[in-house]
Amino acid sequence: MTKVFSIFGSGSRQLGPFERQVLQALWARGSSTVRELLADGQIRQAYTTVMTTMDRLYKKGLLDRVAEGRAFRYTPRHTAEELQRVAALEGIRQLLGSGDTSSLPLSYLVEALSAHDAQLLDELQRLVERKRRELESREDEDQENQDRENEDRGQR
Amino acid sequence: MFALRGIAVSLTFFVLLYAFLSLLVALAWRWLELLHATEKSLADWLFALRLLPLAASIAITLAFVVPSFQMLEPRSIHEDMGVMPLALGACALLLIAWGCFRVITAQTTTSRVVARWLEGAHPLDAGAEAVTFRSRREAPPLTLVGVRSPRVLVSESTVALLSSDELHIALKHELAHVRSRDNLKKLVFRFSPFPGMAKLESAWSQAAELAADDAAVSNRHDAVDLAAALVKLSRLVPVEPAPACTVGFVTGSISARVARLLAWDEAGTTRPTRVHSWYAIPPVLAALACLLVTYGPALALTHEVTEWIVR
Repeated sequence: MTKVFSIFGSGSRQLGPFERQVLQALWARGSSTVRELLADGQIRQAYTTVMTTMDRLYKKGLLDRVAEGRAFRYTPRHTAEELQRVAALEGIRQLLGSGDTSSLPLSYLVEALSAHDAQLLDELQRLVERKRRELESREDEDQENQDRENEDRGQR
Repeated sequence: MFALRGIAVSLTFFVLLYAFLSLLVALAWRWLELLHATEKSLADWLFALRLLPLAASIAITLAFVVPSFQMLEPRSIHEDMGVMPLALGACALLLIAWGCFRVITAQTTTSRVVARWLEGAHPLDAGAEAVTFRSRREAPPLTLVGVRSPRVLVSESTVALLSSDELHIALKHELAHVRSRDNLKKLVFRFSPFPGMAKLESAWSQAAELAADDAAVSNRHDAVDLAAALVKLSRLVPVEPAPACTVGFVTGSISARVARLLAWDEAGTTRPTRVHSWYAIPPVLAALACLLVTYGPALALTHEVTEWIVR
């Protein structure tokens, strides 16, 4: 797992879009050879491109491989959640390590969290208001039905 | 010397049993979540499980270890006290002292902070059964404080922000905490420290919040009012963290609580069943009967075990 940190840590060794695509396809399949991955149809690239990319991911420590005939079978070494967690941690660590004033990056983080919280609370507030309106309209309907029944009874 | 040895052996047995049971509880408590129980039942069971290592260790030490030493240990022999009982006895004393220290610290810190929150506060006539105070704007929005004489503090901001229905239902939520003696339970947790219990305590706290929500709500309107109060008060950022012996209204996962309240079912058909604590009575009675029948041999066995431990 320590190697994964370095992938997210240094810019030159970050994952490219195609590497991410290959990794996602492998997470979906569990394990795969290059040929199986291409046969799925999700990836439309040349055989050698996919093979080179998987080899690169293996060298970055993100895939395990075992020989299968003349090819390799690749398996993701970490789950998607594990990688997300590590990426988030590394991102936060980089943010906190940046800037000359130590408290400044932390304030950005707090600001981002507060904005996220406020967004979540706005969403919850909307849900509560919708539920309240639903209840009120249902009560109005019930009242109308009751009035209609009373009128019918009166007419009879 | 005999008495000192007896104390050391008892403390050794107590600390070993306490550590073993705590470890077991810390590893196995998640099984309780498999019970399809109401939040009130779940909170009660989680509390019982959290308390089990301390209660069981004290009970077994007093019921078996002390009498077995008194009755079966020869008083005449001049046996040296080994390093093991001395070290573990000291550990037990340290554990008890640490627990007492945590309780006293929590109590004094809470008293100091609450005294500050109560400066300039005046009783609030909100139709609640408990003593309710309208506290300063800087105080937390809505909090239950105190163990022996619980009080509910409502900040000026809360009174300004909530409608009367929302305030009423939020106070009912806090009163449910008063009835469950949740502040006292928090204090008991502090008396029995053990690493790895934080998740169990956090699960209890969440279950206690949901149980208080359930106790406060009796129809869909109440549920929506409580959800609205939760969302509104979540926007009030507390100036300082709440001390240990308080129960804040805005605690636990707010989105989970709001979602649950909005899905509140008046008929109660989809809600889980209450697992009554009297289900535990038959096994306890059976255990007591076994204990009475086998008490003599059990004392002899305990004595052998303690001899083996201290040797």
